[in-house]
Amino acid sequence: MYRLAKQLTDAFSRRFARSVRETYRQDEAYASTPLGRLALGVFLVFLLLLPLLLPPYPMYVTTLVAIGALSALGLHLLVGGAGQISLGHAAFMGVGAYAASHLYGPLAPLGILLGGGIAALLGLVLGLPSLRIKGVYLAIATLAFQFLADYVFKNWEAVTGGIRGRTLPPAELFGFVLDTPGRLWYLVLVFALPLFFYGKRLLMTRAGRAFMAVRDNDLSARVAGVDLVRVKLLAFALSAFYAGVAGGLLAQLYKAVTPEYFPLMVSIQYLAMVIVGGAGTVLGAILGAFFVLLIPEVLNSLVGSLGPQYAATLAAWRNVVFGLLILAFLILEPLGLVGLWGRIRNYFRTWPLPY
Amino acid sequence: MGVILEAKNLHLSFKGVKALTGVEFSVAQGEFFAVIGPNGAGKTTLLNVLSGVYEPDKGEVIFLGQSLRGKSPQERSRMGLGRTFQGLEIFRGMSVLDNVKLGAELALPSYPLALPRAEREWRLRAWAEEVLDYLHLSPFRHAPAGMLPYGLQKRVEVARALASRPKLLLLDEPMAGLSLEEKQDLARFLLDAREEWGVTLLWVEHDLRAVLELSDRVLVLSYGEVLYHGPPQGVRQDPKVAEAYLGQV
Repeated sequence: MYRLAKQLTDAFSRRFARSVRETYRQDEAYASTPLGRLALGVFLVFLLLLPLLLPPYPMYVTTLVAIGALSALGLHLLVGGAGQISLGHAAFMGVGAYAASHLYGPLAPLGILLGGGIAALLGLVLGLPSLRIKGVYLAIATLAFQFLADYVFKNWEAVTGGIRGRTLPPAELFGFVLDTPGRLWYLVLVFALPLFFYGKRLLMTRAGRAFMAVRDNDLSARVAGVDLVRVKLLAFALSAFYAGVAGGLLAQLYKAVTPEYFPLMVSIQYLAMVIVGGAGTVLGAILGAFFVLLIPEVLNSLVGSLGPQYAATLAAWRNVVFGLLILAFLILEPLGLVGLWGRIRNYFRTWPLPY
Repeated sequence: MGVILEAKNLHLSFKGVKALTGVEFSVAQGEFFAVIGPNGAGKTTLLNVLSGVYEPDKGEVIFLGQSLRGKSPQERSRMGLGRTFQGLEIFRGMSVLDNVKLGAELALPSYPLALPRAEREWRLRAWAEEVLDYLHLSPFRHAPAGMLPYGLQKRVEVARALASRPKLLLLDEPMAGLSLEEKQDLARFLLDAREEWGVTLLWVEHDLRAVLELSDRVLVLSYGEVLYHGPPQGVRQDPKVAEAYLGQV
């Protein structure tokens, strides 16, 4: 028995424990070590099985977080990557959602792609002011776009259904009706996985370096041969595409679209995800979305469990606690959740001999 | 030795302040060319004109037989005109490796887009590692450039510029703020880069001893005018330079 166990663990360490990258080529690839590939595979299988493991409401929240993370990744590429600020992210999600609400049922995947495409075109337009202005001034310009979009959502009745909004029947994928969050989850995966890998790859290669160069120092980026106009417009368009796709998926999850889903507050929430998540990495986007979207849910259920008589008073405190948590993050861990994760990982990597 | 860069009668003024008046000089292929002068002489302005941050009011710059008029900084960098800045203009949030790779991107322009992305990255990496190794930066490749000590950050900037395989590298006070030892290291790196990769160097520097020791020829500017243009041995003897730059004795 002992020998069998020993053989198994030895085989495991020979196969997987080699976690050191030995060549530059390995250093360039992601999931380059066997252990990394194993972890990635297990994670993907876990994602596929998730709807079987979770009850309906947690599954709904998980889907919501996944869509939020996708959208947050778009904003990460823009804010954390290229260093441009946008207060109009929710507007792009709205554009995607309304576009998706016109192509439903079996056409839903097409509608979501189209929503992303239209949002990307508008993103190009919104990128134009970024060629002339920076920082706070750019924030104000994108704020104007947010308000404009809000106005259009509320008043262009023919397309958006005005204040009442639009409802849409569930999406279909290969004949399956995706009417529950657990089923819609697979449509989310179809869009989110490629976009996450693309985002990750982007930040590791040429375009990502150009983005970060513009973020860090646009003068020397120009002298180093980076085309500022192209990079800024690309960053805005790409970020809007992610938001548009996420908006389309959100419309499928809510089975409805109204202007109330995409106010300025949501744009700010997404900026909060970027800040809480930390530096422009894919992991930051995911963790930030988890934190910002999940904590209110957790606080909600905490308040609910205390009994209905406290609900009214505590509901207000919920926002205060949430605000304090974000504040605590900014002060205690400026690198965000990514920084925290890095420290935890290093602790275990060197455990039990940290020195 | 052919001429790599020629400045013809450059004039530039900012609202009445004459930054450059009739500046003329030429840099030969493979030369180590220095521009010196007292504060406000127009040295950095000259570099900005050469690298395309400013367009001169009059006159033109000929680089490799082509006029640079109307060419943007990134077009000029693609032609082989590299540049480092006074103060630190590296990409602080990016790793040292990414800084160098960004520069190296310019060295690979002839590969078509058809080259698979992974293969392209790999070639960039191989060349970037060569440059890092050359400048003794390899141990810091994954560190965010902004976290390194000042001397190393300076070296990262030089590495980024060299990685683009410039034909002519403009250096704006590369030695400012470095210790004597770091200065010696940098001088060796620059001379080696010229030897190995055939880079022509044009530098603006305040350390007169280093300039006179290392440079092949020197241009002395004062208030936007050329006071002296010739070998370093003549600088100290020139009466006009002595008056404007070294002070009257």
